[in-house]
Amino acid sequence: MSVKVNRRKFLKMLGWGGAGTALTGCDLPTTVTLEEGKEEVVSYLMPEEYAIPGIGVWYASTCTQCEAGCGLHGRVREGRVLKVEGNPDSPVNHGKSCMMGQSTVQSHYNPDRITSPMMRKGSTLQSVSWDEAMSALTSKIGPDSGVKGDRVGMITGTVSGHQAVIIDELLAQVGSKNHYVHEVINTSVWSSVCRDMLGDEMPKLNYDKAGVILSFGADFLGTWISPVHNMGEYAKFRKGARGSLIQVEPKMTLTGGNADLWIPAKPGTEGALALGIANFIIERGWNAVDVPSSIAKTLNQYTLTAVEKVTGVPVNKIKRIASMLTERAPSLVIAGASTENHENGYDAVASVMLLNLIMGNIGKTIEASAKFPEKALRAKQGNTKDLLLLAKALKDNKLDVLFTYNTNPAFTAPAVLQVSEGLSSVGFKVAFSMFPDETTLQADLVLPIHSGMEDWGTHVPAYQPDTSSVLSLQQPLMEPIHKETRGFGDIMLSMLKLRNKNFGDFPDYYSYLQTAVANMPADVTGSVEGASKDIWSNVLQKGIVKAKASANALTPKLVDMKFKVKHDNSGYPMHLVPSARLGLWDGRHANIPWLQEFPDQIAKVVWGSWAELHPKKASELGVKNGDYVRVTSASGSIEAQVYIHKGIHPDAVSVPMGQGHDEFGRYAKGRGVNPLKILNPLMERRTGELATHATRVKVTNAHKHEKLVHLGGSETQVGRKFVKTISVDQLRRTEGEA
Amino acid sequence: MSFKNILENFSYYRRDAEDGGHHEYDHRFGMTIDLDICTGCNSCSTACYAENNLAVVGKERFEKGQAMHWMRVERYWDNIEGDYAEEGAKFLPMLCQNCGAATCEPVCPVAATYHTPDGLNAQVYNRCIGSRYCSNNCPFRVRYFNFWSYYEDSWPEPLNMQLNPDLSVRDKGVMEKCTFCIQRIRTAKDKAQREERVMADGDVVTACAQACPTGAIVFGDTMDPDSRVSKLWEKHQVHRGPFLQKKDKTNEEIRGYRIFDELNVDPSILYLERVRDTEV
Amino acid sequence: MQVERRTLLRKLVCSLRGRMRMKTVTIKQLLSFSVLAFVVSILPAKSYAELPVPAHITPPVGEHESPIVPQPIEFPHDRHVNDMKINCMYCHTYARRSKVAGIPPTSKCMGCHKVIATDKPRIQQLTEYWEKGESPKWLKVHDVPDYVHFTHEKHIRKFVFDEKFPVEDVQQVCGLCHGEVRGMTVAEKKKPLNMGFCQRCHEANGGPGDCWACHK
Repeated sequence: MSVKVNRRKFLKMLGWGGAGTALTGCDLPTTVTLEEGKEEVVSYLMPEEYAIPGIGVWYASTCTQCEAGCGLHGRVREGRVLKVEGNPDSPVNHGKSCMMGQSTVQSHYNPDRITSPMMRKGSTLQSVSWDEAMSALTSKIGPDSGVKGDRVGMITGTVSGHQAVIIDELLAQVGSKNHYVHEVINTSVWSSVCRDMLGDEMPKLNYDKAGVILSFGADFLGTWISPVHNMGEYAKFRKGARGSLIQVEPKMTLTGGNADLWIPAKPGTEGALALGIANFIIERGWNAVDVPSSIAKTLNQYTLTAVEKVTGVPVNKIKRIASMLTERAPSLVIAGASTENHENGYDAVASVMLLNLIMGNIGKTIEASAKFPEKALRAKQGNTKDLLLLAKALKDNKLDVLFTYNTNPAFTAPAVLQVSEGLSSVGFKVAFSMFPDETTLQADLVLPIHSGMEDWGTHVPAYQPDTSSVLSLQQPLMEPIHKETRGFGDIMLSMLKLRNKNFGDFPDYYSYLQTAVANMPADVTGSVEGASKDIWSNVLQKGIVKAKASANALTPKLVDMKFKVKHDNSGYPMHLVPSARLGLWDGRHANIPWLQEFPDQIAKVVWGSWAELHPKKASELGVKNGDYVRVTSASGSIEAQVYIHKGIHPDAVSVPMGQGHDEFGRYAKGRGVNPLKILNPLMERRTGELATHATRVKVTNAHKHEKLVHLGGSETQVGRKFVKTISVDQLRRTEGEA
Repeated sequence: MSFKNILENFSYYRRDAEDGGHHEYDHRFGMTIDLDICTGCNSCSTACYAENNLAVVGKERFEKGQAMHWMRVERYWDNIEGDYAEEGAKFLPMLCQNCGAATCEPVCPVAATYHTPDGLNAQVYNRCIGSRYCSNNCPFRVRYFNFWSYYEDSWPEPLNMQLNPDLSVRDKGVMEKCTFCIQRIRTAKDKAQREERVMADGDVVTACAQACPTGAIVFGDTMDPDSRVSKLWEKHQVHRGPFLQKKDKTNEEIRGYRIFDELNVDPSILYLERVRDTEV
Repeated sequence: MQVERRTLLRKLVCSLRGRMRMKTVTIKQLLSFSVLAFVVSILPAKSYAELPVPAHITPPVGEHESPIVPQPIEFPHDRHVNDMKINCMYCHTYARRSKVAGIPPTSKCMGCHKVIATDKPRIQQLTEYWEKGESPKWLKVHDVPDYVHFTHEKHIRKFVFDEKFPVEDVQQVCGLCHGEVRGMTVAEKKKPLNMGFCQRCHEANGGPGDCWACHK
């Protein structure tokens, strides 16, 4: 029966023809399927024997969605990458992945990728050929351009591996020291304290060995250091003897949501709380390590009642925490963004670290990390100090050429720093970019780069979680989707060739990497199986190189702490918490539709911005869920819908980072607000970091309402027991680990 | 199955769920989710979107409750007496429970949702006529209806290149839901068959279980006594079957439970209770 | 190595367009629910005497007429199968290993046609593609709907390898669903490849009857 019958017609026929038609039931051709000559099928030109159409092949690579450096396996079928999973061989993530890692594919296949080079002609960016782009580049920064020295700058996100090497090389060629490395979500203050007090910037943390973790705002399950790794360690910490987690922070983070005890200290007073706990421990003689009398004397003033007054944390809670740290030793005490990013952040983190020192955690839950032997390949970690330095350089008109790569300072810089305005003073701005973000669109030359799944690279994670250090290889999982994009390394190499003919030996970044990796010293590649000529293919297969690490010991040492910060905050009674979320991160993933659609872990809001308020504050303001409030600082104001919950300090208002893009493609543009824009230009005093959590604001009712779009019909289980909870005591009795 | 077959074996086919139902199972896939180590991070949900061609619906449709998250992580605030949520939040990954005595199956007027020999509630998309009876009858609210032809705007080129060819892209008017990654089960079965062996524990891992950074999700065959998931069910004294089960009295605090067990639907997902240290 | 890898990745085998068009319901699904449909299953099967497949295998029944699909190169199956006696699986090499049988890579065509019949216009056309580094864009003739999971591998295993059917005669097995390809130039669809066609064969030969065995 070959008569074409469409469905509607057929239903009519059925009505008339009845059973007679039905007899042919399953045999009837329809218009929607079973068609010939409609779909194209293209064969391989030359097949590889391991590639079978219809069967997925897995390739190892490295995730580039944040700087943790998780190993990936990408499933490739018919030349397309379909799905990524964690690389089980990677000591960073042990085969696991987070929502940002899973979304790599949507970054790669994003419909808003830049597909050809663009050059500023007049006031607009116009598509040009690569030849034109490269000749412009040569004339502006080549040996004959006259450009040299510190008038050239480059701002990037965290970089490591051979990308860091070639960036260094390029800047060395022109004689500039201006490599600004910028990340809003960073652990710079923590690293400075660790360096000064322990002699290791990124000590290895043994979550699983801790009986209790006391975290001062370190969202280690969400945004702190190496989230996927931390979550794996957290699972070990919870299993077995089940450690307890105490989280002190002004706004509940994902980690706070998983705490056994969540305490909101008054924003900015975390250091005082840590010292109060330390003082109580020393008074009781519970300290495992002797404390010099000079320190004990300083601590004297942090009596329980004084600390309660400053922090708002009740005395019994402080006592309880102190005895938990003692009873459940060893403990692990850590500090994150909401402690670090105040004007006295360094001192606050130092007080937190003091707890580790006096409780004898050093060497138990905090150990020296494995350092990658090749120093040049180690991670250059991003911070906000460099953002401030860049802002200053722009203001003082100190740059003629600025390269931007993997960072978006025009979006992340507070408005008052005038980075966007400052960029216009730079004569020639070159953006290596995948997306038309705010910084890229201000550039004079836009060079479209490959996605993380199309490009070659090596990554050395800043946080090394194993006894050997790891280098993770990034290899393309598929051919570039767009014809006119190029690898970052390839473009850098062609610039390097302008001044140094030695780079002419390498036709592309691939061959450079291949040579570089295969020729690394034996202490790096010693663990790779096979003879030296097979090293490269073995590394490609595994995706990682485990290098021998030098054995270091931590050298604990105390530092001075000063706390007094005085500002006239009259008129600005509230603290602004620009919170970070696993998902949109600092805003770099706002163009990924999945990540827009996935609810925030705590507020469960989707596709927009919101301001979190405590019920007390909300009733003071007379606002309910979905009402708009205006958050005003000395540097500006934003409006957002309110989400009210009891996971925030009444004096704090939290607006998550990530939204508020003016550009950045269809999914991000014009959606929500960016809390970073209204930050005051306050600096952490010792490290020079931007004190992102120090801005004071006032919150007013904007008298506007819209339905708050979020997941979940009800905020509680309404008495139904979906999530049942038992006490740890019951757990011990029944599962018998204690 | 033919009509003759039904007539001849009528007493077998009308066996109720409490008599074991009429199914001869090859496998009964099940899952365990440990709420104590689940952090509520959303990795599972993302992995599910990536694996199963789930559409992004956008803000307006999300507001109307039309989101297609087969695996969603609910967050509850409960029993907060003081000023603060001192015990943190309660996270619940909620997905189709693939019930053994599913309430969605008997109401489907066209038998588009049915029980497979692997113990799954399967949804045959091309058979579905979109009556939505199944969704109305589901106590877990885990069936998602395609109110729109999402493929028209959910995957603007080249986003569509990511779509998993092992699975169809559903059109308007079709009900869909978690399948326990049936395409992965199929691939694993084929592989085992090719290698002339029986499927072993760990051969099939659902996308959510594979991504879960804490390993809170364990997936496997509850009929295989040596599988990890069976051992967890055993340990927590929860067994397959539709009726509320009597637990060993001395051990009534073990953590395993099934949501809505009292409805006698025999869910295939065992949740392990969240633990909180009340001493702190 | 890198160059090869890149070439490999360049070619997408399957078109995406197809997967985007799953439709709600087709009449055949509605009807398959009807008991009447079962009647079909007990209709006597037509014998396929000219194909010496083992007697206990009941060949699927059904005929289909379709226009000839215009292909970029008018590939003569008859010449290759009948005259040259080339095995189906020499070119459609993935059939025994994967869901899809695969269109032979252009390199395989050129393996012979670098020297054979280079004066023929169709071969010159092919050479042109090869020199440009492209593969011809063939149009699919035997296409099943996007919600159908069909695997060549299992069918070949059951009907060829498990039966110890001589592989050199494999075209007789392929022909059960693809018709007498040896008599065609470009492939034509001679069997309906619809659910009834599949289902009857599954029932007669003990194939799975579970919906999700074939639907996705």
